[in-house]
Amino acid sequence: MGTFIQQIVNGLTVGGIYALIALGYTMVYGVMRLINFAHGDLCILGAFVGLTMLTGSAGGGHPGAALLLLAFVVSIIAIAVAGVVLERIAYRPLRKADRLAAVVSALGASLMIENGIMLVWGPQVHVFPSNLLPATTWHVAGATISFIQVMIILASLVLMAALYLFVNHTRFGTAIRAAAIDQDAARLMGINVNRVITSVFIIGPGLGAIGGLFIGIYYREAYFTMGWTYGLYAFIAAILGGIGNIPGAMLGGVLLGLFNAFAAGYVSSSWQDAITFGLLIVILLVRPTGLLGERVAEKV
Amino acid sequence: MRGFKLDGLKLGALLWAAGLALPFALDSSWVSIAAFFAIYAITALSEDVILGRAGMFDMGHAVYFGIGAYVTAILNTTLNVPILLTLPLAMLLAAAAGALLSAPLIRLRGDYLLVATIGFNAIFVLAMQNNPGGITGGSDGITGIGVPSLFGLQLESQSAMFWLDWVLLGLVLLVMRNLDACEFGRALRYLKQDELAASTLGVDARKVKTLAFALGAALAGLAGTLFAVQLSTVSPSSFVFTESVTLFAIVIVGGQGSIPGVLLGTALMFVVPQIFRGLAEYRYFVFGIAMIAVMVLRPQGLLPRRRSAA
Repeated sequence: MGTFIQQIVNGLTVGGIYALIALGYTMVYGVMRLINFAHGDLCILGAFVGLTMLTGSAGGGHPGAALLLLAFVVSIIAIAVAGVVLERIAYRPLRKADRLAAVVSALGASLMIENGIMLVWGPQVHVFPSNLLPATTWHVAGATISFIQVMIILASLVLMAALYLFVNHTRFGTAIRAAAIDQDAARLMGINVNRVITSVFIIGPGLGAIGGLFIGIYYREAYFTMGWTYGLYAFIAAILGGIGNIPGAMLGGVLLGLFNAFAAGYVSSSWQDAITFGLLIVILLVRPTGLLGERVAEKV
Repeated sequence: MRGFKLDGLKLGALLWAAGLALPFALDSSWVSIAAFFAIYAITALSEDVILGRAGMFDMGHAVYFGIGAYVTAILNTTLNVPILLTLPLAMLLAAAAGALLSAPLIRLRGDYLLVATIGFNAIFVLAMQNNPGGITGGSDGITGIGVPSLFGLQLESQSAMFWLDWVLLGLVLLVMRNLDACEFGRALRYLKQDELAASTLGVDARKVKTLAFALGAALAGLAGTLFAVQLSTVSPSSFVFTESVTLFAIVIVGGQGSIPGVLLGTALMFVVPQIFRGLAEYRYFVFGIAMIAVMVLRPQGLLPRRRSAA
């Protein structure tokens, strides 16, 4: 019973992080029908920017809550700016081109960012400081819950709720949903689609930076190829929930986190990734539009 | 004598024939680069069958290349099967894998197929690493693959191996050339442009697409055998997802369905990096920027297929 509850807590923590990153994939896909392969790398770039803030300015002492908050803010701003620049340079010129051109451009962007990180920070594994958060733990029904886990779960819930309210209950959120359904019709209704796309490339990478920094703090490490690994998990989460569907990405993230935690807890860990990818293929076969996605006529 | 016109076919044949002389002009490390070019060119052309010609987003093509390499490695090292006998088996098994894996996925289109093939690639690499049944050698792979022999002649030197690769590349180029003209190739083109219209005119979309996958996989399996022989070792790291991305990018950057485009793409992605080995650290960084730049400036690819191709 203790293991069971432990796996649920672990799964919810990782699932919250997946969901934050998956939102970036799904929002971009929803509006542009583009898999932003560079998204995972942007998120990990966020982890590196935050790490530099934390270790660079603390001078070895205790970073403190204010500095931790500052690291998050700087990281979010830096990655949101990077997302907007990326869209302007690599994706906007290709909006009317063959879709595969944009796919290859996104893959190029992923390679560029990943190896850019390696050139700046080096190929080694960077360790996050251990004293960022209180080491408090709680024991509930035989499971150990750490402060970090509570913080990640709460923060992702609050952020997801905020995003949900923003997209569903504000004028600009309505514009985003309209542009996702039909860009041309949205434009005819006076919606500035370029602004919507820019905003999606602010919100997605911004949330992704938080997710990336959470990964660094939770696993206490960062390395340049990490964006690929976690990006792929988050992407599977987005597909699981239904790509293009915002509540779907949240649900998919949490479910995949739980699935992974139980696969790691009860099945051999060397086949864990293979099981996750197997799940992905089964979903695609049985219900390609995901759990919450609606069937849309595909225009390729 | 009527005017001699240098068309694409004649120019290609001339260049290919000139290529045969490469071992006399280059030292052995360059001959080995030329051999790798031939091997990767076959792999990229086989990706072009699926991606460029049939329009199916296959981003796990390294799987079929890997199956070919592993079939040759396993048969040759454990059962002592001669290399050239493993070649048809490698092609056959790769083709079977291509047909079987793609059959349920063929109704998926566009991005969903792309994602599923990424999944296959990941599972393939994990499976090879986990060494099922003790036959794949785990992360270290399989070493000690023998040399091919032809009519009792051991193709041991790098030059001999290059000639084998080059001759097979020539055969694959002929297949690709004929694919443009034959009924199957036309069906592929038609399906890519408008599947609904092609189906109403009697093209069996499911059958043609499965065949395209099988053909592409078979050619990749052939390249896999040559790859195993060239390196005399195989390991999972040669067939990771990054390799599939590179093959995918070669076809799109070079030009879908364009033989010169795919060959140019192969040279840019596999040969140029060998020249700038000293700058290995910057290699993928520059690659990424180049991929964006080419797509933004020439979204149709560097040497796109001409519209009026026969």
